[in-house]
Amino acid sequence: MSPRLPSPLPSFDRNLLRAVAAIVPPPEREEWSRSWQAELWHVRHPNRNRTVAARVIADLSLGILCDALWLRTESWRRLLSGTAIFCLASLLLLDVLSIVMALALNGGWHATALYLGAPFKRFLVETPLVIFVTFAIACRRYIAQRSSSRKFYWVRRRLFFAAKILLSLLLAFLLSVDVCQPLHADFPVTSELLQVFLFTIVALVALRWVFTDQEQRCKQCLRTLSTPARVGRPSHNFLEWNGTELVCKHGHGLLSVPEMESSWCRSSRWLEPDWEQATTI
Amino acid sequence: MSTQLSPRLSHSAALILKALSLGYCFGFDVMEVTGLPSGTVYPALRRLERDELVESKWEPEAEATLNQRPARRYYQVTRQGKAAALAATQRYPLLAHLVPEKRS
Repeated sequence: MSPRLPSPLPSFDRNLLRAVAAIVPPPEREEWSRSWQAELWHVRHPNRNRTVAARVIADLSLGILCDALWLRTESWRRLLSGTAIFCLASLLLLDVLSIVMALALNGGWHATALYLGAPFKRFLVETPLVIFVTFAIACRRYIAQRSSSRKFYWVRRRLFFAAKILLSLLLAFLLSVDVCQPLHADFPVTSELLQVFLFTIVALVALRWVFTDQEQRCKQCLRTLSTPARVGRPSHNFLEWNGTELVCKHGHGLLSVPEMESSWCRSSRWLEPDWEQATTI
Repeated sequence: MSTQLSPRLSHSAALILKALSLGYCFGFDVMEVTGLPSGTVYPALRRLERDELVESKWEPEAEATLNQRPARRYYQVTRQGKAAALAATQRYPLLAHLVPEKRS
């Protein structure tokens, strides 16, 4: 519905709104235009001092732009928040930033390649060990309710998991190299030892996060599970189940994470809604 | 005992929420009474609405037409927003003096 104004807005205001409206996401554009037309009309009200109105319009122009930008970034946030793509893009961005930092510290591609040669060989040896240790201590696994999880979702989950591990290890390596680079000229041996130590620590922490993050994602859409809810009573630990339940915002399922592992409740359980049964009731 | 935690607000957001709770219900009015620039006020109003501390409604079209002006979008503080405004006033005691009560 287009707003009906008692008197038309000046052409500057109309052009400004038309130009900035392009930033606003289409579903919200009409309401946004309507509300700003009304705001501008009130500022241009005939009883208002013209000089004051001009000053206010100049200020409001910034507000119009910020408001539109906020709506656009919010729509992106809603769309991407918690998604696998956002997670991988963030890790990739951190990797790129670490490479840029390494380039800046070493002063060019050639010097960086020379400096990274020895640490990279060590990285190739350390990585399998770090991965082995992390997999060995990652005892938390989830049990799917039934094996109907389609092959496609399984493959996608594994690919995402592998990509996350790869990017996290690369980040750990680049960060450890960047931190130790300033020491390398004066204390080469100390710097190398420190780099190995730092890489191991950061890689272990990063891989631990990769496991936790993977567990707390929807097994279908790979979005982060939300709205954690405490279920059961901790005082009844030995009598009944208690823990935390997380749900997928898109209704793909629910993850039950036990508070403590017991012989009868060792793992998290992924429960998918049975829509077929629900529709027959 | 209430289990719901009131969100921690920035000083600007607290000031805007205080202005809204004192009866300034339009974005432009909030701008004028708080002295904050529009680039701060309007995105902050959107954030407060997203966090369910305020809700926005449109003025009744008939009332606006009667007064020969377009209907405006106005903001109201929700119950959660009132609790957050109270908590913000305790956190920023000078807030109460910065915004005068609206004369009806």
